[in-house]
Amino acid sequence: MPPPRTWEGRGPRDRPPAPSQEEDPEKWDWNCPETRRLFEDAFFGDEDYIRQGSEECQKFWTFFERLQRFQNLKTTRKEEKDSRHPKHSIPALADLPRAYDPRYRINLSVLGPDARRSRGLGRRLAPERVSEFRQALLHYLDFGQKQAFGRLAKLQRERMALPIAQYGDRILQTLKEHQVVVVAGDTGCGKSTQVPQYLLAAGFSHVACTQPRRIACISLAKRVGFESLSQYGSQVGYQIRFESTRSAATKIVFLTVGLLLRQIQREPRLPQYQVLIVDEVHERHLHNDFLLGILRRLLPQRPDLKVILMSATINISLFSSYFGSAPVVQVPGRLFPITVVYQPQEAEPTTSKSEKLDPRPFLRVLEAIDNKYPPEERGDLLVFLSGMAEISAVLEAAQTYASHTQRWAVLPLHSALSVADQDKVFDVAPPGVRKCILSTNIAETSVTIDGIRFVVDSGKVKEMSYDPQAKLQRLQEFWISQASAEQRKGRAGRTGPGVCFRLYAESDYDAFAPYPVPEIRRVALDALVLQMKGMSVGDPRTFPFIEPPPPTSLETAICYLRDQGALDSSEALTPIGSLLAQLPVDVVIGKMLILGSMFHLAEPVLTIAAALSVQSPFTRGAQSNPECVAARRPLESDQGDPFTLFNVFNTWVQVKSERSRNSRRWCRHRGIEEHRLYEMANLRRQFKELLEDHGLLARAQASKPGDSYSRLRQRRERQALYQLKRQHEQGQGRRRKVLRLQEDQDGCSSDEDRGGAASQGGGDNVDIQDVKFKLRHNLEQLQAAASSAQALTRDQMALLKLVLGRGLYPQLAIPDPFNSGRKDSDQIFHTKTKQGAVLHPTCIFANSPEVLHTQEQEARGSDGSRDDKDKMSSRHQLLAFVSLLETNKPYLVNCVRIPALQSLLLFSRSLDTNGDCCRLVADGWLELQLVDSESAVRLLAASLRLRAHWESALDRQLAHQARWRMEDKDDEETDPVNRKEVAALSRELLQFTASKVSYSLRRLTGLEIQNLYVGPQTITAAPSLPGLFGCSTPSPHPTKGGYAVTDFLTYSCLTSDADLYSDCLRTFWTCPHCDLHMPFTPLERIAHESTCPEAPQDGPPGAEEAAPEPLQKASALQRPYHCEACQKDFLFTPTEVLRHRRQHV
Amino acid sequence: MWVALGPVGDMPCLLTLQMECEAERRPLGVFECQLCALTAPYSYVGQQPPGAQSVALLEESYVMRDPFTPNKDRFLILGSRCSVCGRLVCVGPVGKPRAAGAAFPLSPWLGPHDCSFFYSKRFCLPCVRENIDAFPQEIQQDLEKREVPSKRPASQPGSRT
Ligand SMILES: [Zn+2]
Ligand SMILES: [Zn+2]
Repeated sequence: MPPPRTWEGRGPRDRPPAPSQEEDPEKWDWNCPETRRLFEDAFFGDEDYIRQGSEECQKFWTFFERLQRFQNLKTTRKEEKDSRHPKHSIPALADLPRAYDPRYRINLSVLGPDARRSRGLGRRLAPERVSEFRQALLHYLDFGQKQAFGRLAKLQRERMALPIAQYGDRILQTLKEHQVVVVAGDTGCGKSTQVPQYLLAAGFSHVACTQPRRIACISLAKRVGFESLSQYGSQVGYQIRFESTRSAATKIVFLTVGLLLRQIQREPRLPQYQVLIVDEVHERHLHNDFLLGILRRLLPQRPDLKVILMSATINISLFSSYFGSAPVVQVPGRLFPITVVYQPQEAEPTTSKSEKLDPRPFLRVLEAIDNKYPPEERGDLLVFLSGMAEISAVLEAAQTYASHTQRWAVLPLHSALSVADQDKVFDVAPPGVRKCILSTNIAETSVTIDGIRFVVDSGKVKEMSYDPQAKLQRLQEFWISQASAEQRKGRAGRTGPGVCFRLYAESDYDAFAPYPVPEIRRVALDALVLQMKGMSVGDPRTFPFIEPPPPTSLETAICYLRDQGALDSSEALTPIGSLLAQLPVDVVIGKMLILGSMFHLAEPVLTIAAALSVQSPFTRGAQSNPECVAARRPLESDQGDPFTLFNVFNTWVQVKSERSRNSRRWCRHRGIEEHRLYEMANLRRQFKELLEDHGLLARAQASKPGDSYSRLRQRRERQALYQLKRQHEQGQGRRRKVLRLQEDQDGCSSDEDRGGAASQGGGDNVDIQDVKFKLRHNLEQLQAAASSAQALTRDQMALLKLVLGRGLYPQLAIPDPFNSGRKDSDQIFHTKTKQGAVLHPTCIFANSPEVLHTQEQEARGSDGSRDDKDKMSSRHQLLAFVSLLETNKPYLVNCVRIPALQSLLLFSRSLDTNGDCCRLVADGWLELQLVDSESAVRLLAASLRLRAHWESALDRQLAHQARWRMEDKDDEETDPVNRKEVAALSRELLQFTASKVSYSLRRLTGLEIQNLYVGPQTITAAPSLPGLFGCSTPSPHPTKGGYAVTDFLTYSCLTSDADLYSDCLRTFWTCPHCDLHMPFTPLERIAHESTCPEAPQDGPPGAEEAAPEPLQKASALQRPYHCEACQKDFLFTPTEVLRHRRQHV
Repeated sequence: MWVALGPVGDMPCLLTLQMECEAERRPLGVFECQLCALTAPYSYVGQQPPGAQSVALLEESYVMRDPFTPNKDRFLILGSRCSVCGRLVCVGPVGKPRAAGAAFPLSPWLGPHDCSFFYSKRFCLPCVRENIDAFPQEIQQDLEKREVPSKRPASQPGSRT
């Protein structure tokens, strides 16, 4: 029980404090720390409203000082003694204190000092001082109340002033009567923040609101939480790919469309929701369009589910009619009048034929604004440009102009900027200076900047367009649509009347398409098709999309998924396909993850998969900075970009785990955007959880530090981190900065970096990203993974490359044969569909292309001037790449080099041979010529067997995974494929990859491709291969000719001189396993080898014999042997001799 | 603008803790000012808000947890009944009290919620106007000053620069 304390401020009859008689007021010092300590001890205990040492305690003393200063100004306090007024007849007014004192206006009181804690406060301090202190405390608390109430009132006022506020009731009413309601209103009408709150207020509690962008989920959840006064509660949450703030108390969740689709995949009837808000439907994102189709089918089955579609006022009838003329509630926007000025760019004499954008028309607008509007009239400028190159062209010129006039602060805005740099557009320009924001279409709908009065619209946009034939993403410049033009214009009229300068003619505008092209008509559809297959929505060709995708895109996607092994020939999901459909990642990445976990390489594959899924962390400018380049060098891997990224991430984790080092500085020094590494860490963690959730990876045992001391230490560290995070969050409100003129344009030194260099510990200089990272991730686990990565053996590396290669297949490029004679920057590559692709400048091979050149000059002829074209070598390489991006040139992005022959034998979907198997054609575009038939056949046979083993191991893994999902997940047995078996497979694969056989490699010409096959044969006498292919005999291939041996291998279908006689080309051969000795064609030999009853199925000995290289090694033991019994010469090892002799017994 | 912040981490224990607190301060009802129609959910009515033992209120108040701070035992007084007419009114005005002793440079912006004020008791503004003589001169002057600027036409909401 606390000892009794007295209340200060209670009751009007308290005596106002009188100056102390005993004490000299001059000597009293409130600033003395000791004095303050005494008061803090007495008033700011653990139970009290303000706690000693807290931030609030500091605030109080600041307030106290101000109060003191203020009261000193008006020291004279007139004692009012008048009691002329008669007592009031209303009782409440009768006993009002006549003598005015401001503290009567405070409706609070505080407890006096607690005797126990005051440590003789009463003796050492005059009661007047205590009273003075308590008065100040009261004023402080009262001030806090007024401030908070003020915020509350302001919030309500602003909400009431939103255009949508008048429509809340109508929306709720319409929703009561209809299942689907379309709410149409332009940006700024408040629909995204208010509609969820109306639902909350109306008592709905299972509301999902989808957003096309992750960032919008977070900011809306925060905003709605704030406005609905549950900012620090959990009624409003968000859920995105990396994180979730959702809990049992959550009533509204903001989530990405992709995530909602995943939920539908798991529970098709969406039982967890009462109301679904689909926001920004007008943007026509791929997933949104798909979701609408799903919902249209779902609604009849879920009559209790309500759907609100929210759209800008674009093409509303499309959505309404798609849902059976759903009612539309249209909310007028709040826009001030905007003057449109058309300023078409007359064909100017361009100085050169360069593709660079001419900045002059933009500068003229800056000038015009300077001339026409006095600088006191505020209002910023927003310029819409098509892409980053255009932004930097105008940026340069505008900055030069700005440095003359001192009236502009020029800022770029695009998605590749760091968050800190993007945030600068919200900073305030100093008086007399306008912001000039050069933006991509990101500012059209995603980012809203207040205070824009002028808009310049270039009329152009760069968008990814997709060429389904070439399976190529292209970044192309297009004219915008009328809808976009209106959207851009509207940005000028949000805070007052504005002006929009259109750098095109009114007739151009009239010719614009009314709406932007929906995404479904622009992008690759593989992920969508895979997801549709996974959700069993039927044939994608007949799915009732709101607007159907181009049929060719669908066909290409289906074909691609078949190539990738996700769909079988009847377009049904394969086992790997159904797993891929569950993983919310790119098909290629998904394959890597599955294969990696099979080979117990999950940790490194997780990192690489994450690294390949985020934007490149290398900043563009750093490429030209020799210091950055030099600092990066030790991180580079000549195996390929994924391995460089792997090194970067691992080293960064090491830096992070070393207490004394500053990772931010480490990154800056190397020209690395740290934000991307944080994204990688998040994604890596998510991939890991995915693998664990799908039974592909054993769940990590919660690693508990052994002794209680280190547990305590860890807990303390976490607490300290939470504390830092809270402090940072509290400091958020007052962070809007004033821009400096002439912003430092050096990419390597943004404000954030400088802060970080200054200090790690205190106040606002906290590296909040670092804090959050350490809270979110188990650094010790990450560090363990990172250091084990540095200890990867050569074998593991080689396996990792196989995993990447199989994952990326068929995304392959072949170096041009003349590359070795070209400059570093002129190296070109060819893919199956695209000739003359170049390396992305950040690619490791762009700087050291020689590692791709065929080194070994095993020239057969005397001809010295050979290029790589017909060069015989055992080291030809291909590039496997993650993506092909076409801007001004086709770029290969994220490349790994892989051995050509072995990779093609292991991965290609189609392998064709000639009669003696010396000539191979992979996937109909790469030709391999081997020196001798013997090794060709051996390799082929080995690859056949390896592929079969690999497939069956994978199948068992997938079957296990499927069973694991159906059954009890607690089953800890997550090692479905026998470890020994995987180890044996790994060993065999490595031996196979290391095999050294000379061959030449080239890309076939178009004409050659046309005349590749012998075609169907009229005389189809199947080669006499009794029982050698198991039960099935190879059947003649219906189109290529030759014989289909497996679903990928077609024997003897290539046109060549020897073809006619291929069946007769038999030579004597002895099976190394069963010692069968007879004349064989190469095909018969393969057939025998893959079915030989004596051949060991797996395990090291068989593998060694199957792979040519170890065979050569083993041959050290071989000696010439002449058998007397059969009169023949052999090369035999001692055991083989014994085995042979037994035959004759 | 808000800066996007991540979650606290997937810490189940913290989550349950948070949910328990949630249950503790479940709103009792919605407070609505009878003069300005300001509404907000309240979680306590009385003079001793939970979680703040050292502070007491001098009137029966409608109180909510301060929504603007993560600190869980911060409360916010929404309003109370006028001691003359019994109307439920919010605590606005929240702006500069001009009376001696309280005018600070720190004062928040004055809004149009001129519904009541406290002078040893709560009085709604209509009642104060009706009985202005009962109040000391300082209050009368204060009220006069307050009336003058409010006659100006209301400016565009939210667009002060
Ligand atoms: Zn009110
Ligand atoms: Zn009243």
